[in-house]
Amino acid sequence: MGIKPALKTDFDPKPVKKQSRMKVLLIQINKNKVAYLFLMPKLIFFALFMLIPIVWSFVLSFQEFNIMGSTWVGIENYVDAFQSKVFRISLWNTLLYTIITVPAFVLTALLIATLVQPLGKLSQSFFRAAFYLPTVTSMVIIAMVWRWMYNYKFGLFNYIVGLLGMDPVNWLGQSDTALLSLMIMSILIPPGSGIIIYLAAMNEIDQTLYEAAKIDGANTFQRWWRITVPMLKPTTLYLFILSTIGSFQVFTQIIMMTGGGPGNATETIVHVIYKTAFRDFKFGLASAQSVILFFIIMIFAIFQYRTLRSDHH
Amino acid sequence: MIVSVYKTIRGGFTLKMKKWLMTILSLVLVLGIFAGCSNKDASNDKNDDPDAWKKWEGTITMWDGPRWADKKDNKYHWIEDKIAEFQEEYPGVKIDLVKTPWAEMNDKLSVAIAGRAWPDIAPVDISGGSVNINHIKQGVVAPFDPYLTEDEKADFYDNAVEAYTYDSKLYGIPNSISVHAMLLNLDIFEEKGVEPPKDGKWTYDEFVEKMEALTGDKVDGFSTYILPGYYEAWPFLLMDGGYPLSEDLSEYTFDSEEAISGLQKLVDLKFKYEVTPESMGGQDVGGTWKAWAANDQRTVAVEPWATWAIASAQGEEFKTNFMVAQYPTGKTGEPVTIGGVGGWVMFNSEDETKKRVAAEFVKHISSTDEQVTMAKNYGIFPARKSAAEQEPFADNPQMAKAQELSKHAVMVPRHPSWARIDEAIQKQLQLALNGEKTPKEALKSAGETVEAILNE
Repeated sequence: MGIKPALKTDFDPKPVKKQSRMKVLLIQINKNKVAYLFLMPKLIFFALFMLIPIVWSFVLSFQEFNIMGSTWVGIENYVDAFQSKVFRISLWNTLLYTIITVPAFVLTALLIATLVQPLGKLSQSFFRAAFYLPTVTSMVIIAMVWRWMYNYKFGLFNYIVGLLGMDPVNWLGQSDTALLSLMIMSILIPPGSGIIIYLAAMNEIDQTLYEAAKIDGANTFQRWWRITVPMLKPTTLYLFILSTIGSFQVFTQIIMMTGGGPGNATETIVHVIYKTAFRDFKFGLASAQSVILFFIIMIFAIFQYRTLRSDHH
Repeated sequence: MIVSVYKTIRGGFTLKMKKWLMTILSLVLVLGIFAGCSNKDASNDKNDDPDAWKKWEGTITMWDGPRWADKKDNKYHWIEDKIAEFQEEYPGVKIDLVKTPWAEMNDKLSVAIAGRAWPDIAPVDISGGSVNINHIKQGVVAPFDPYLTEDEKADFYDNAVEAYTYDSKLYGIPNSISVHAMLLNLDIFEEKGVEPPKDGKWTYDEFVEKMEALTGDKVDGFSTYILPGYYEAWPFLLMDGGYPLSEDLSEYTFDSEEAISGLQKLVDLKFKYEVTPESMGGQDVGGTWKAWAANDQRTVAVEPWATWAIASAQGEEFKTNFMVAQYPTGKTGEPVTIGGVGGWVMFNSEDETKKRVAAEFVKHISSTDEQVTMAKNYGIFPARKSAAEQEPFADNPQMAKAQELSKHAVMVPRHPSWARIDEAIQKQLQLALNGEKTPKEALKSAGETVEAILNE
């Protein structure tokens, strides 16, 4: 009996390895304790307001929520979520919205940044501020302005349509134009944050690369296409992932402009989650829908990372 | 120390220790008996003195939304005054007022309920929104019957009491009744030389005739919007005898011939008679209101609105020369409108005395005098008969006319999942009114979703 532990220690290398790893970790923590101390408040807030709610919502997704005590229902909420026609429509609408608006956002940001970058410092600052302005404006205000622009009688869009000699369009009132209208709105709002990030990245590119290309006879477009765009790949990846997350979580425009209608034409995932939780009090089902959204975004992010990752660091 | 405790647990108690333990347990038992007796005595005291609750000391939390403004533009002055009066009468009581904009009331209350951190009192309609029958079943809302005598209860209109009754118990105090009515811009009627309906009464055919006469030169006769939770257009669906659910709330009945013909009449206004703007039936509440009320627009002659709009059209910002009319009558021959009942709800608490005090405060703010004050200043119809008898609208003919309509008010079904049922129907109504579905197709499609909800 007494020999067993000795044998285990002698012949099983795993515990030794585990102990040494722990030791290394403790040494590292001890070595960087000041840094960890500074990080502690942020980590505590992250755990309290992000990590615990995320884990809790994952647990809740397997329960039927009741104010006086929840019950375990297994994967029933996930089955209910996928069986719901409205949820399936919202998945499709959100996917469509993301596929159209995200590349448009990134491309617009890249093009505007390309046009602004060669300008002088003062002009660059002006355009940075001008394009960033919509980003600091509340989406509620922007949505209200756009609702007026889409107004059937007095809206700017129908005024332009009228000038072109066409019949006015019921932009937000028809199923075939409502989601499209929201996409147009999203595309036409200047991608302020994208422009700022691209400009910062462009200014970091080694100028000797351009000089060498110029000596080799490359024209402006070739230098942009062969140097700028590849060198911006990590930034492009970052913007793609960030805007994909934002697009999948589209909500304010929906609640302010269409309420998900007409019919279910502009119903999106987060709007459905919001209604399931705070109108129907089905917090278990809403959590399951949120977990599904989490995995969809994760899959998209992995796909984007694998497609756009660059060897350039 | 830890080692000795561990050893004790592992090794068992010694005889000496057992003796000590027995002594301590006996003491706890004796003290418990005494404490039980003293509690009993205290509760006996309470029972002996029916006014003991008046000496209660503590804090009551209440939520309320903005109401009419005073000279300092304070829209909470009424409830603040009522709180001050109550606190003066009961010095031990402190009432914490949480000022909550109406637009945020439902969401905030939903979150508070989900987090089991609800207030003691809030102004809510138990038919849907943030508080519904499921909450009553789960014990979130406290019954009000123990605090109201039969005589007091008899002073409220039957439909108001019914709206706050579930399983024969009253869950709150009705404070106001609201209805929907047609608002007619009399300037447009005059400009177009159209006679408004006599006494505000008209049949559907007469209504169509007048709408056709009013339409033209950038003016539309009629407009409304369709959005979950809003019922301005619904009296059209009810005018031929339609109703969304069967009486026992177990079946969907909006696919009946009566409901379909009602919806057809509404749809015809847009596509057959062309007396509405193209956007009629959309989701733009503000835009619809402005088209009727804003000084720089006023492109629609007639729109149906809930009672608040009357007070708004009498105010400075949207001052309009208007009259109130009933919805046109259909096959039933009776004017129909959708009504709603607002009131105060008391949430459950383990402290019975606190609930008694909170109930007293609810009665204080929903007395006859307060309902008259609210009717005059806030434009609501009193839920108390004694308040209505004081004729708060004697000098306000538009409100008086709307109050007449409350006789014909039909309430929406009080199903626990009404918010979801309502959404399923309203979304199909949007599709009928934008021409993507016929009224029959729309109401049948809504039925598929509603039946699934009813069968859950």
